Amino acid sequence: MSAGRIACLLVPDLPWVALVRAHPELAGRPLAVAGGAGPRADAVALSPEAARRGVRLPCTVAQARAACSALEVRVASPSLEEAARCALLDAALSASPRAERAAPLAGLRAGEAAVFLDASGIGRCFGSEAGFASALAARAHRVGLPAIAAVAGSRSVARIAARRQLAGWLARPPGEPGPAEVVPAGGDAAFLAPLPLELLDPPDALAEALGRFGIRRVGELLRLPRRALVARLGGDAARLVALALGEGQEPPPPASPEARLEEAADLELGVDRLEPLLFVLQALLSRLAARLACRGLACPELELQLRLAGGGRDARRVGIAAPTLDVRVLLRLAALSLEARPPSAEVEAVAVACEGRPLRGDQLDFFRPAGPAPALLSRTLAELEALCGPGRVGAPVVVDTHRPDAFALAPFAPPRAAAGAVRESAPPYAPARTVRALRPPVAARVELRGGRPAALRSAVASGRILQLAGPWRTSGNWWSEAERFAFEHYDVVTGDGTAARLRFDPLRRCWEIDAIYD
Amino acid sequence: MTDMAPTPLGGARDPRLAALLRDLGARVRQGAAPEAPASRCPTGLTAVDRLLGGGFPRGGVSEIAGPPSSGRTSLVLELLARATERGEVAAVVDVADAFDPPSAAAAGVDLARLLWVRPPDVPAALRGTSHLLTAGGFAAVVLDLAGLGRRAELGARLWPRLRRETAATATALVILGDQRVARGFADLALDLAPAVPHFEGAFFAALESEVLLVRDRRGSEPRRAPLRWPAEKADAA
Repeated sequence: MSAGRIACLLVPDLPWVALVRAHPELAGRPLAVAGGAGPRADAVALSPEAARRGVRLPCTVAQARAACSALEVRVASPSLEEAARCALLDAALSASPRAERAAPLAGLRAGEAAVFLDASGIGRCFGSEAGFASALAARAHRVGLPAIAAVAGSRSVARIAARRQLAGWLARPPGEPGPAEVVPAGGDAAFLAPLPLELLDPPDALAEALGRFGIRRVGELLRLPRRALVARLGGDAARLVALALGEGQEPPPPASPEARLEEAADLELGVDRLEPLLFVLQALLSRLAARLACRGLACPELELQLRLAGGGRDARRVGIAAPTLDVRVLLRLAALSLEARPPSAEVEAVAVACEGRPLRGDQLDFFRPAGPAPALLSRTLAELEALCGPGRVGAPVVVDTHRPDAFALAPFAPPRAAAGAVRESAPPYAPARTVRALRPPVAARVELRGGRPAALRSAVASGRILQLAGPWRTSGNWWSEAERFAFEHYDVVTGDGTAARLRFDPLRRCWEIDAIYD
Repeated sequence: MTDMAPTPLGGARDPRLAALLRDLGARVRQGAAPEAPASRCPTGLTAVDRLLGGGFPRGGVSEIAGPPSSGRTSLVLELLARATERGEVAAVVDVADAFDPPSAAAAGVDLARLLWVRPPDVPAALRGTSHLLTAGGFAAVVLDLAGLGRRAELGARLWPRLRRETAATATALVILGDQRVARGFADLALDLAPAVPHFEGAFFAALESEVLLVRDRRGSEPRRAPLRWPAEKADAA
């Protein structure tokens, strides 16, 4: 006999939970989630407060408002619900590598979202199966989902055990994780026997027929001869009996979760100013960071997608110096990008996504020079980039080109060095021709004598040219109209004591100083 | 029964304490240990390192001030070259965006171990420097404020904090500028005199200058040392 254990992580009313996850200010209010706009739309989910005030499903929005005058109504958001389902799976995968989403249900259970996990032997990692179930509920809570966790011998029994906790879930204080239940190994039958049949979700006709026979409990159903029951009531009865016997004992397969995580939000009113947009972004980034943290990942690059009024789209990538989970840093970088290139129209929806990358770990060594701690360095690089702007923090790189002002920046990732190592290529003499670059080059007015510079006037060096060397001619990229260059360089010493690198650009016919020898 | 509890040692004249110190030898001293000499970040230039008592102080703030073409940048690149040569990492906070990678590579700086930070203004540069000091692990952080004129004096109220943050690290914070800006918050200050460029034929070949040690918390008297580029380096340690 299989000794497998299955856990179920269940969210009873996903449309409402997803909405409150994105808008925490709605928690505790009487709220109905509608399937569409208008008073005739069906209400698909209710908040516990709305249920306490007498609203019952199924009903329309108009009927719900009639039952509760203080009711607020919001339209269901498929993007928020999908993000919530993904977050539920992330929470499950943080506890077990074998997890999969349950197939969606219809009817009154259409708002229920569930994930099944392989819980075989997991109790040893968490002290007990009860500890595992509590930890699972807590992890779901950290990603914004007050889910119910249950462990049993099969998927159907685990799901039923979770549903049994609905009353406790509704009654829990706001901000608390959902409840947890464990059906002891080998105790599925005893657990199910006293339970009402409706927990198995029988079709209405079958439930009515069984009710006429006085069968209202699962134990009563299982005492009936199976063959005769199926012959009398059909295939639905066979499926119901299979559920009651514990259907779905096979553990979920190992999951291959997508590395790309996304959080999205539709805005009720279009936003055309930066501050309210950043407010929405901060909430999205917080949820994204919570899911990344759940999976032990960090954000190396942020994708920002804005849906604009009029059907337009604004998609942009925000680079980050080092993977980070710091929401403050991510928000600052996103704000810099939006300030530099504002959206062209009102923003109607926002989505943030990233391909999570494991946080960099490193083991330091007693015998090598200790550098910055990797985790601290990653955070510092991200903060520096937020301070200076994208593309302004990194390790300098000498570019293989004749262009004198070319440079590049690479991600700062210092290599390890062996203790005591001295680079063989280090020159024995400190060179004289060290320069301070002038970016951009400073314009100069040059007086020529005999075709050579004799005096110059500029913001960095002025006066008679006392010493002169050159010209050295360089040119390149002649095949590209936009990138071709040509310079005639001179080393000059002016009367004010400055040694400078002067250049003439024959393409633009102008004199500039592009560096100071220092 | 004899009381086995140890009798606490008496004061400095307790003969048992004297006997204990005698037995342990020179490794143990009574009283507070003498202040360990601050470790230094050498430049590799013999004359400069002798002037500085071994190099720029780690955990201290140093200033290098001088006019353009006085050799300030060359001196700082030598500091960075020696630090990265030892396998350590260093950083340059470059407000004027004047750092030249080819010059640094020619001076021997291991560019893969150098972090180049290009802030938009002086207050951002000071905050970025604070972030680097807080992160720790950098042998040297160079705050380049040269060529900014009076803008270099912005954020002067942050110097006490930077000094405190530097003191808590093993990082040598070196401020480069046209004038000294950290004033009393610097542990060491160097002034570079205007250099004399030398041409050999058609080539700019050398730069001669002089460095003056104007301030040193060790109490050293002001002293001078000649500087000439190209400069012969001391052998690697």
